[in-house]
Amino acid sequence: MTNRRFAPAFSGNDQASLTRRLQAIDFAIQDTVLYLDAYPDDADALDYYRSLIEARAGLLAARSKEMPLTVYDNTGTDWDWVKAPWPWQPEAN
Amino acid sequence: MWTYDRKLQYPVKIKTPNHNLASIIISQLGGPDGELAASMRYLNQRYSMPYGEVTGILTDVGTEELAHLEMVGAILYQLTRDLSPDEIAGTPFATYFVDHTVGVYPVSASGQKARVTYDNIIRLCDDPDVLDPIRYLREREIVHYQRFGDALRIATDHMNEKNFYAINPSYDQ
Repeated sequence: MTNRRFAPAFSGNDQASLTRRLQAIDFAIQDTVLYLDAYPDDADALDYYRSLIEARAGLLAARSKEMPLTVYDNTGTDWDWVKAPWPWQPEAN
Repeated sequence: MWTYDRKLQYPVKIKTPNHNLASIIISQLGGPDGELAASMRYLNQRYSMPYGEVTGILTDVGTEELAHLEMVGAILYQLTRDLSPDEIAGTPFATYFVDHTVGVYPVSASGQKARVTYDNIIRLCDDPDVLDPIRYLREREIVHYQRFGDALRIATDHMNEKNFYAINPSYDQ
């Protein structure tokens, strides 16, 4: 796991595109987390993890403006948390 | 403590409802080797695990299985949406709706492991909208198997050489 860098495969700033971009980077993070659990001393993997977390921050802020990701992200004037589409509905994917 | 992410881990977007396919896939929700059973197994195995790496794997894989539970739920929901009671009646899926209080699917599912079950679903399924997320879930089972292989090695490495067995035989003396 040397010099690995995340290459975004998706673009766009509408809600569906931002969700897809977040799904992609969160998938990379999830797989890296499982690897680091088993190999906590792998410095290259830890570097890769840090770069992913840094790249995720801006994406989370952008997606949260369209639809909060967690109950901690509903920072707008409306309670968007209960609005459709829900993740399991085709319209959200 | 868990926090819900308002997104699927991997997209599910099925154009054509198909209750017969749903009846095949439902075992992966609540069946003996489904996502719910897997998640609960790992999350409950954590507490007495003495090795931090393995505790982490159990926690993070157990949590990911909850995301897979939601994906399987989304597949089932989208495969059975907009069906009328008349359309459901007489199909293999009818009992799941009519008799769901008895918990049909936890006791009727096969004893095959999750990845093998996904293999079988792939053989029986010809809808690319369903195959794509099912293939993703199958791949994740393979990654989890790799990490549990690491976990087994970590646990084995920690064992006292003098204790050949996975538990300490002196406990019951």
